[in-house]
Amino acid sequence: MTAMVNDEPARIAAGSDAGTGRIANARVAFARFMPAFALFVGVIVVWEAVARIFRLPEFVLPPPTAIVGVLVAHQRDLGYAAYVTAREVLWGFVLSAVIGGAVALVIARFAAFGRALYPLVVLFQNVPKVALAPLFILWFGFDLAPKIVLIVVIAFFPVAINMLVGLQTVDSNLIALMRSVGASRNEILLRIQIPNSLPYLMAGLKVAVTLAVIGAIVGEFAGAQAGLGYMIQFASTQMQTSLVFAALVEVSVLGMLFYYVIEWIERRYINWMPRAD
Amino acid sequence: MPLAMSASSSTPAQAPAHILARGVCVDFTVAGRVNRVLHDISLAVPKGGFVSLIGPSGCGKSTLLKVLAGLLAPTAGDVSVAGVAPIEAVRQRRIGIVFQEATLLPWKNALDNVALLMEVAHAGRTADEIRQRALDMLRLVGLEHAADKRPAQLSGGMRQRVSIARALALDPEVLMMDEPFGALDAITREEMSEFLLEIWERTKKTIVLVTHSIDEAAFLSREVNVMATNPARIIEATPIDLPYPRNEESYAAPEFARATARLRRLLKEGHRQAVAA
Repeated sequence: MTAMVNDEPARIAAGSDAGTGRIANARVAFARFMPAFALFVGVIVVWEAVARIFRLPEFVLPPPTAIVGVLVAHQRDLGYAAYVTAREVLWGFVLSAVIGGAVALVIARFAAFGRALYPLVVLFQNVPKVALAPLFILWFGFDLAPKIVLIVVIAFFPVAINMLVGLQTVDSNLIALMRSVGASRNEILLRIQIPNSLPYLMAGLKVAVTLAVIGAIVGEFAGAQAGLGYMIQFASTQMQTSLVFAALVEVSVLGMLFYYVIEWIERRYINWMPRAD
Repeated sequence: MPLAMSASSSTPAQAPAHILARGVCVDFTVAGRVNRVLHDISLAVPKGGFVSLIGPSGCGKSTLLKVLAGLLAPTAGDVSVAGVAPIEAVRQRRIGIVFQEATLLPWKNALDNVALLMEVAHAGRTADEIRQRALDMLRLVGLEHAADKRPAQLSGGMRQRVSIARALALDPEVLMMDEPFGALDAITREEMSEFLLEIWERTKKTIVLVTHSIDEAAFLSREVNVMATNPARIIEATPIDLPYPRNEESYAAPEFARATARLRRLLKEGHRQAVAA
């Protein structure tokens, strides 16, 4: 516990001296990612060996080298599909963040309205929203719109619930101090509650962005003319399993990119919470 | 002329009370049962006085402080601070509050934390004036070098100094402190006690301090209100005849030994009665 709290000044200090510190940082980063990297390489090697030794048909389990071959050969198609899916994820995620944040703010700021809204939000959360995908296709067509709607209904909830917790876990003594100098509810919200909620919001956004990728893929499964999900479905009906895996690789890379952009923003701007790493 | 002399050198007890409580009772209703937290409390604190409330955990000393600070309305009885009701005194910014936890905003540096309440209070100060005043307050508590440090980069004692600077920033007449050094280690605690006396002598504030440390109460206060439970009440207002300025050597003074011995005896008596009841 002490180590966690003390980590904060150490991290700020490490970031402040550039020259030798940067090399040391790189070494630390290398040491941190080494185990994950080694495990990843190990799994790939075993996969390749299994596929080759047991001579598995390529439509059952293609070896990683074959997948890389497809990635290169189909890079143009895959690139366009990735662009289509990335656009869906981006718009869906941004709207989820905005709507989720707005719901949290409304619930926190207007208690009576919040009491009406909160149970409905929770109730809605229990609807299996993936099952709504065909409806959205029916209502909004095969293009961008139904995917965005699906992503929003899936991904706004973790944003809303995390931010709400952040808005509400404020030291009551601090609120009393603010009230004692005549702070209005809006001032308390703006100066204390919203900044306090930002680390929680970031946690919610990280969950939301992974859900957004899932939403985009499911949305494309339900009906689409382009995108990585569409490609996965199309390739699997054609028994082009290598292409399925190639598209899966791109989906994963896409998801990771989005995730680490948020992570970077968090480390850069919202760095006052003690962390365990 | 001799008459005038004797009037001006009046003892604290004869000075007009700055904080006055008469027959204060506080009841909390928990699950339909009425709990008397404070019973018929009366006390008087002269202007510029330093009075402590000491007693076992759960004796209601923090509740009494909340009543005096206008954070809690008593069930019965009258309270006045500087001649007006505590709520009104709070509105007139006559009361500064320091809690056991420093309750600083982790995303703001020390300077901005000190400036926070001034910014909200809109006391006709410009941003520059607020900044200057916040700097002055940090200088007063010996932390001008840490103005741009965030709470996580400060020690517990330093955080509490920032909290005291924040309370002093609005220039209140009264400082209400709820176990302000309770979370600090023994050495830091004694340092902070000496520091608080220095601040008190320089600023001439009226201070009410809640503590459960006999040494702290005796070292700091002009008068100690000893509290007991069952029913929660003040059993004695013990004057501490230890000359100011007090410093490290005061702990060895015979008056200090006498005072702590008396406080200890009173607390034990109160405890025995509570156990017997």
